[in-house]
Amino acid sequence: MTDTIEKRLGTLFWVAVGWLAVISLLAIFAPLLPIKDPDAYYLVKGVRPPYSPSGTHWFGTDQDARDMFARTIYGARVSLVIGFVAIAFGMLVGGTAGIIAGYLRGRTDKLISFIFIVFLSFPSLVLAILITALLDRGLVTIALTLGVLAVAPVGRLARASTLSFAEREFVTAARAIGAGDRRIIIRELLPNVVVPMGALALLGMAVAIVAEGGLAFLGLSVEKGPTWGKLILFGAGSRELEKSPWIAFGPIIILFITVLALNYAGDRIRSYFDVKEIGL
Amino acid sequence: MRSSSSHRPFRRLGAVLATAGLALAACGGSDDSKPAAEPAAEPASEPASEPAEEPAGDDTLGETETDVTLPPDDDADSIFGGTLRYGLEADVNGLNPTSSALAASGLMMANAVYDTLAVYDENDVSTPHLAESFTPNDTLTTWTMKLREGITFHDGTPLNAEAVLVNFNAQRGDPLVGLAIMPFFPADDTAAIAVDDLTIEFNVNFPIADFGSILTGQLGMVASPTWIAAAKEDPTLNQAPVGTGPFVFDSRSEDSVTRFVRNEEWWGGDVYLDAVEFYPVTDGDDRNSLLFNGDLDALHTTNQASILDLVDNADYQTIIDDTGEESYAMMNTAIPPFDDIRARQALAHATPIEEYVELIGLGVSRRATQRFTPESINYNPDLVQVGNDPDTAVALVAEYCEERGEETNPLLGTTTCTDGKINVELQWSGPSVVQTRIAELLDEAWSVGFNVTFQELPQDAHVLQTAIGQYNVNTWRQFGAVDVWTDNVWLLCATINPAGLSLNWPRNCDEDRDALLFQATAMSDLEARAEVLKQAEALINEAFTYVFFTHTTWVNSFADNVRGVCDHTSAGGERMRCAVSGRTWFSKVWIE
Amino acid sequence: MNYWVQRLTASVMLLLAVSMLTFGAMNLLGDPLFNILGPAAADTKPESLEKVAAAKELYHLDRPLPERYVRWLGDMVTGDFGVQFGSTGQPPVSNLIAERFPRSLTLIVMAQLLASMIAIPWALITAARANRPADRVSTINSFLLIAMPNFALAVILKYIFGIKLGWFPLTFKATDPWLTRIYQTFLPALTIALPAAAVYQRLLRTDLITTLQEDFILMARSKGVSRRRVLLRHALRPSLFSFITVFGINTGALIGGSLIVESIFRIPGLGSAIVEAILREDFPIVLAIVMIITTAFVLVNVVVDIVYTLIDPRVKR
Repeated sequence: MTDTIEKRLGTLFWVAVGWLAVISLLAIFAPLLPIKDPDAYYLVKGVRPPYSPSGTHWFGTDQDARDMFARTIYGARVSLVIGFVAIAFGMLVGGTAGIIAGYLRGRTDKLISFIFIVFLSFPSLVLAILITALLDRGLVTIALTLGVLAVAPVGRLARASTLSFAEREFVTAARAIGAGDRRIIIRELLPNVVVPMGALALLGMAVAIVAEGGLAFLGLSVEKGPTWGKLILFGAGSRELEKSPWIAFGPIIILFITVLALNYAGDRIRSYFDVKEIGL
Repeated sequence: MRSSSSHRPFRRLGAVLATAGLALAACGGSDDSKPAAEPAAEPASEPASEPAEEPAGDDTLGETETDVTLPPDDDADSIFGGTLRYGLEADVNGLNPTSSALAASGLMMANAVYDTLAVYDENDVSTPHLAESFTPNDTLTTWTMKLREGITFHDGTPLNAEAVLVNFNAQRGDPLVGLAIMPFFPADDTAAIAVDDLTIEFNVNFPIADFGSILTGQLGMVASPTWIAAAKEDPTLNQAPVGTGPFVFDSRSEDSVTRFVRNEEWWGGDVYLDAVEFYPVTDGDDRNSLLFNGDLDALHTTNQASILDLVDNADYQTIIDDTGEESYAMMNTAIPPFDDIRARQALAHATPIEEYVELIGLGVSRRATQRFTPESINYNPDLVQVGNDPDTAVALVAEYCEERGEETNPLLGTTTCTDGKINVELQWSGPSVVQTRIAELLDEAWSVGFNVTFQELPQDAHVLQTAIGQYNVNTWRQFGAVDVWTDNVWLLCATINPAGLSLNWPRNCDEDRDALLFQATAMSDLEARAEVLKQAEALINEAFTYVFFTHTTWVNSFADNVRGVCDHTSAGGERMRCAVSGRTWFSKVWIE
Repeated sequence: MNYWVQRLTASVMLLLAVSMLTFGAMNLLGDPLFNILGPAAADTKPESLEKVAAAKELYHLDRPLPERYVRWLGDMVTGDFGVQFGSTGQPPVSNLIAERFPRSLTLIVMAQLLASMIAIPWALITAARANRPADRVSTINSFLLIAMPNFALAVILKYIFGIKLGWFPLTFKATDPWLTRIYQTFLPALTIALPAAAVYQRLLRTDLITTLQEDFILMARSKGVSRRRVLLRHALRPSLFSFITVFGINTGALIGGSLIVESIFRIPGLGSAIVEAILREDFPIVLAIVMIITTAFVLVNVVVDIVYTLIDPRVKR
């Protein structure tokens, strides 16, 4: 996003972070907030839903007179959990594997890299669909499935970072003074690799959230409860779009801004730390 | 949640549901089987912010007119030519009446290429069609069917007793289709005997007053025996049916279009249309758009929102029929918790039927209390379908859990009650936006006394799970056969198979009810029969195995220039019932 | 030469690994017997038991998993994709593939074409006006496009162009003439193309800017060659390398994204076929399509490599 070298993260960065913080807080404290019940049916006798946005229903209601604002907030809970768990799993498993591969090289590296490539060549959505269709559609399963899909991209980045760092002087120096492999990995490599992975984490969360939406559109998202993908799906029929577009567009806007914020923040962190790298 | 032992996906059960002249898209999945398919509401024309505000305009339909058919068209004007393009709810896997799953869409196509041995006339009585006559013996346990002479299948094979027997036995041998026939006929060769080249003697297990009615649907379709044999060897032929019907199979591209062309030598007379093309369009809105754009000439639908659009539009001829099929929630009485009537009653009382009728029915589909609509002679006005009564539900749940809360729910692997609420699994077929909305609506109301787990399955898998009794409660569609005794198969003790497939889906056996049903089946005095059926219906009501929502509204809609829509006649010259649960015939249709 | 042998081996191993993974997953987590026979598998009548036995023999279901895998592999390599499970009639999978493949291919090709047609001029313009307001705005736009989830974009495009403006039809009919079908494929192709175009444009722009700073460009300018000529004739070619690489690699991502788009716009292609097949647990179809997609992915990567080495003799292996 930048051609010029910026030593600061920028105000827009903080705006993005602010948005993410707001969404996260709303999601976490949703049950305590004075918003409507996302599962309740606010039917008004004699008037058929969906009700368009108004003072009572900020985002309007869906075809069953459920409040879209509340549902969108509660949908955030699911999306954020999925994003977080998926990327955490990816970083834990993929990151570890990648670092090990990058550090140890040789046959271990070849094997781990091969596994990464297999997963990367596999059309990821197909894998996600396969697993969710064959197992179940609980929140945990879906989050972990997306986590499994995150392993390869994260791992590949971790490996690349490790490779580039492993040649550095401070590693050679550490080895010269007799530090063992484990110590080197944990003390020297890990802190440096974590940074680019941190940027990737934000981007990865965005991907996971979007992936959940994709699964929802195929009817394969979490079984119970609103998710952003499901909300958009319910509002995306031709009739809905024509007569009551707010059903889909409320969640679409929130989803979009969140993904945008994650992308932007991740991008800024990456260029910021990359620049620092060059400065070394 | 999904253990491989209990959830096995599965293919062709729908066939059995469609036998005995019934259309069944199991559990309402038909119009709604794809994602992003189904929304369903008229929007309020103004935002309704406070209840005190004036309701915005009258956008409730009130009561839709039902049972609307069309008057005869003047045959003299009929012209030859043209292709009718018809929009279907779904595609089918194949068109072999002895082995394919034929729901409403399949039956529409089958109606073009096959004739049935009997058809319903305008008074809902069966009348011979491919058959020439049906003659019973004194005890109504042996029926002699005489076929018409000189009819050949599209491939030249003659229609004779032999051919009919090949069909009959093939159907009996199919694990699904056979299940539906099983209660009526003895298991051995005496069920159907060829007396001579054109006569068959059917022997049935109990007296049947109107035998022909079972032969008006899939069971009565006769396919070429040559073709049946060939299809057994090469199953791909199931997609290229050969019958005696007014149209001959031309070509098929699965999920895209199936085309039939005029049978120049149809025994039933002149066929005006050059061809009929069937287009499966799963999304109800899309199907309507195609009709309104002129890309389709006709369609059928159960989607309430689509129906609202069609009924309002004077440019289209719309046949409405809600006397077939009911939509309901159904419980499995073979395993806990619904083996206990208190649990069933609790679920019924907690069900949000009013909201369902309002939000899903949209004023199009009428609320149902039983299998019959209020105009039917068999309607029992004393019956009540309980619902919207959470207090009673909670009390019943408390009673049940107190006494039986520690037992196991074999489906979920948990105790029957947790934290004072009954654990159940709700199954339905999807992916479908409407079905998911229904599930969420039910869950929200049932949560006063139940912990509901969701299980959405592809349609075939859903049907299988229901058939083998691996469900607690599901959403379903059934009943409404024109001749009510053909619906017995879903209710009899005889169709429960504890170890295998059961067509009595709730697995609820009531011998008194059986006795009444058998008695009614033998009666030809319709008024006397109605009294018996009302008693049987009361027993169904007291069993609390079904929570009726609505009568399914089937609509067939035709563009203005399509004529002769309801002019199809039986071989004896009688005007047929125009549509049966969304299926109609094109033998006398022409395009202006 | 050595390099290509290595590539080939790696690709083959990759395909094998992917196939093993899919085959294993489907057979371990699902139940082929029920998929093939349906209710007959649960029935106790003698005819059904016969069918069960016949199916077990025909599909070798009693054999251990590795043996079944090897059989399947042998068939696949000779072009026999097997039969569709459970579809009455069990037509060969290759029928389905033959019917649907062209549609998906059309979609992807159209998408890539559109993406390139949008990205290249876009990049040229923004590179020429680097860092000026127009460029800044465009940067924001491309960022927005990349962030937009493809299903959301599909809904938005459907709403604007299909419903509000009515420019494009909402359904796909396979029986329509070829040109009409292309027209029907436009909106879904655009849905896939827009984010890809944004990615390509960003990359191309960066490369163009870098190339524009090279000596030979300054030489051409000093000789009096116009800016436009410089851009198009001298700067574009060398800048295309990364573009081509990403273009190729992105094809894999596009194939994945097309699954959802096909489902939303109801195009009966391979994408929607595999989604339905997975839901119905129709193993042979799933396996066949997975193999096709992965092979396409590998092939595209190889082709990109070849093109790369052909264009730029400076690239050492």
